[in-house]
Amino acid sequence: MSQPVVKITNLNLKYQHKPVLQDLNWTIKGDEHWLLCGESGSGKTSLAKAISGLTHSYGNIEITFNQERELPPLVYYVANWFQFKDLEGQSNFYYQQRYNKQSAETTATVKTELESFGKKHALPIDALDTILAALGFSEQKDATLIQLSSGEHKKLQLVKSLWLKPQLLILDLPYNGLDSTSRRNLNTLLEEIAKAGTQLILISNETEVPDCINRFAMIKEGQLVEIAGHERNLKGTKSVNRPVPAFLTDAVSLRPSGEIIKMIDVTISYGEKKVLKNINWEVNAGEKWVLHGHNGSGKSTLLSLICGDHPQAYANNFHLFGNKRGSGESIWEIKERIGLISPELHWYFDPSATVWQSVVSGFYDSSGLFCDPGYSKKSQTDELISYFGLDEYKNTLMNELPLGKQRLALLARTIIKNPEILILDEPCQGLDQQQTEHFNRLVDDLCKNGTTLIYVGHFDAQIPSCIEKRILLENGEVKSIETDIYTN
Amino acid sequence: MSNYFNTLPLREQLNQLGVCDFMDSGEFLDGVNVLKGKKLVIVGCGAQGLNQGLNLRDSGLDVSYTLRKEAIEGKRDSWKNATENNFTVGTYEELIPSADVVVNLTPDKQHTAVVNAIMPLMKQGATLLYSHGFNIVEEGMQIRKDITVIMVAPKCPGSEVRAEYVRGFGVPTLIAVHPENNPEGKGLAQAKAYCVGTGGHRAGVLRSSFVAEVKSDLMGEQTILCGLLQTGSILSFDKMIEKGIDAGYASKLVQYGVEVITEALKHGGVTGMMDRLSNPAKIKAFEVSEELKDIMRPLFQKHQDDIMSGEFSRVMMEDWANGDKNLLAWRAATGETAFEKTPAGDVKIAEQEYFDNYTLMVAFVRAGVELAFETMVQAGIKPESAYYESLHETPLIANTIARKKLFEMNRVISDTAEYGCYLFDQACKPLLKDFMTKVDTDLVGKNFNEGKDGGVDNQSLIAINEALRTHQVETIGAKLRKAMTAMKSIKTA
Repeated sequence: MSQPVVKITNLNLKYQHKPVLQDLNWTIKGDEHWLLCGESGSGKTSLAKAISGLTHSYGNIEITFNQERELPPLVYYVANWFQFKDLEGQSNFYYQQRYNKQSAETTATVKTELESFGKKHALPIDALDTILAALGFSEQKDATLIQLSSGEHKKLQLVKSLWLKPQLLILDLPYNGLDSTSRRNLNTLLEEIAKAGTQLILISNETEVPDCINRFAMIKEGQLVEIAGHERNLKGTKSVNRPVPAFLTDAVSLRPSGEIIKMIDVTISYGEKKVLKNINWEVNAGEKWVLHGHNGSGKSTLLSLICGDHPQAYANNFHLFGNKRGSGESIWEIKERIGLISPELHWYFDPSATVWQSVVSGFYDSSGLFCDPGYSKKSQTDELISYFGLDEYKNTLMNELPLGKQRLALLARTIIKNPEILILDEPCQGLDQQQTEHFNRLVDDLCKNGTTLIYVGHFDAQIPSCIEKRILLENGEVKSIETDIYTN
Repeated sequence: MSNYFNTLPLREQLNQLGVCDFMDSGEFLDGVNVLKGKKLVIVGCGAQGLNQGLNLRDSGLDVSYTLRKEAIEGKRDSWKNATENNFTVGTYEELIPSADVVVNLTPDKQHTAVVNAIMPLMKQGATLLYSHGFNIVEEGMQIRKDITVIMVAPKCPGSEVRAEYVRGFGVPTLIAVHPENNPEGKGLAQAKAYCVGTGGHRAGVLRSSFVAEVKSDLMGEQTILCGLLQTGSILSFDKMIEKGIDAGYASKLVQYGVEVITEALKHGGVTGMMDRLSNPAKIKAFEVSEELKDIMRPLFQKHQDDIMSGEFSRVMMEDWANGDKNLLAWRAATGETAFEKTPAGDVKIAEQEYFDNYTLMVAFVRAGVELAFETMVQAGIKPESAYYESLHETPLIANTIARKKLFEMNRVISDTAEYGCYLFDQACKPLLKDFMTKVDTDLVGKNFNEGKDGGVDNQSLIAINEALRTHQVETIGAKLRKAMTAMKSIKTA
């Protein structure tokens, strides 16, 4: 069974008028499962979309399905980013809309969404429960799409693809946003469907991939380069060590001390369902925390309270910067002191802002720019854009850039005002290993000046070294609080 | 109660119609301070009520909701909206007496009843805030003399008011103070602070009057916004069916076409929209829209005249008193149109195709926007006000049509807009009968450029571009759009 399933010859593809793939050749045989890894922006997603017929390309892509197999003769692509529509077919959702309750439901529930997917592809409904259970998603059946967190949206897409079992399955950054148990279980499920005849192409820079993966490749200068499995995590030669802009490292005067966050029995519920239960947590200025918990444990909700994004903050005994929430402060006064990055901030960010506008908008905590920032902010923006290596994309619109580059711009936005508190919720999603390490070193540098840090990351290896305290959530409750755990 | 506008001498009518000042952002430096610590009580918790309240609370203000007893006891949607977002909710008797500012965000039709119920409960020297002036201007509601009456009207649907606020922006807003009710002279300062609380000061604020707002708002919604989009959509669909275009395709082209076409209008005005056409199509659309303007001008003028004289609201209120007889009949008829009954087909239509295959709608939109604007300005409404009520709001209604088609679009717009829309549509369709017999599929249903060589005469193209670009709606629009920086594009299917 080694006749080629996919045969790509002389594939050329441009992204925003720039060549990404140049005369790329690739043959995938019947018993092969591939991993595509490498730098962000090298063309992995473009290639995946070309194979799936989702983008226009020049050259030849021949896909031969096995007609004798029972599995659907399809290429199915799971995007690196979640996308969903409301009941009217539109996707005009806005940042943190999921926390504003409206009486009328505007999106489908997970259950109806899955049912209509199953019906479309004539899938057996009994196969679904095992997949849901393995990914820890069974509890979410009655949730509406708008209520899901980014990790849960990812899972929904993965559930569909695992249920469908297409002959060729392409997964783009499948582990992003998944907790470690879900990642392990996903790999087991992928091995099972591989055994049943699905061929896999994984796009990822993770070390833990399914055992069935037997070929590895990178894209270099528009061409596919096969590598040995053990080579994929070697560091590239491109090590850029620019000095951190001085305006960020100069000793910052007047970092306030004392209590920043104080939660007393904080509870958040939607109808009968409690997402956070009796949370008690205190954070003092200068502390470096990591926030851990499985998908759906309540991490994003907890952070949304701190960032002034959750309406139920007003109904709780919850103090920020020494003031009880709802005592006359505006959310903009809160946001002014916080630098935030999160999957949702990224997803809802104004796609029609340029990189430059996006970065400078960090001074105003807005998604996009609505005023003239003046000379000193402009020059600081230029400096930071250079530091992040984004000079050539300065005037490019966000939605014209690959995910990794967008993320770099938003990270620059997060730190540009050198805030008192950094809230970094999976900051390095979509970045390659080198970029991740580089960013974490920058976080360590910034935090030397008494910055308070709250960091969420599902990968232990990707955590800045300055972390000293840990809070663990489980099913909406504080499972444990540990201090001085990471200092060594 | 008698029509307030008609009680005024001409001098004062012109005076109030002419209040129009595009405010400098420096006028909002005091933020929400004037309202800090004051009790804001919102009456009604629909889309505007809820979303404005969420923004005001997030701006540090004290917001609660008051609803009718039945709504609270029946745990209706408005009660759920307010309580599930952790607002205090109470009856009029519980909350109104302590309110410093009572915000009336109920539907127009209920205003008289609501205001009559709350006014006796309001404390001495409190403020009553409206977001539409119909009750004051057309119904002539008299407010107790110690009460300050102001208006803050965000020019976008409620969901947009929230979406723009949370991303650090806002939506364009009109503010006004009722000259008959400003006993302490605090009206303007409070209106500005409220406007900051909803985020409106970041997107351009127009100081207007109750009179100017009502007379321009009614005109806009009846003619270009709802009325003409409805007429144009129905006629276009029927024409395509008559000429044998696939019904599913025709339905999709009409449902989503207005949205795609007016998205270009939103960003670049009439010029930007016309520039999406090829040169030959642009010349054709220009000619067709000139013809449409000539045909429809008398109708636009009649609507404006009836609005100014109060005849429109008199007849509409008669229908309200008559159990909405006309409204319900027209509503039912809209539900029975072939367009409404034909679901959009499962066909892919590329963005540019909406322009190339639906040139007729481009002509309708240009004719309607310019006519509405011109007619308002001729009637004494200032260009800035006329812009907001014509060009600015057209894409918002078009988006509603894309989401809901015509029947449901009419259900979600205001009471006055729905009535005015049908009134216009009834009169406009017969007017366009002869015109429509000449229309063929090159203007609607098929690509206008097909089989043409793309050549045009230099002189005529230059003349047309000049005519489009120098129209007052374009020059004033360029200025106002600049204040609404980085407008978000609508993500369509």
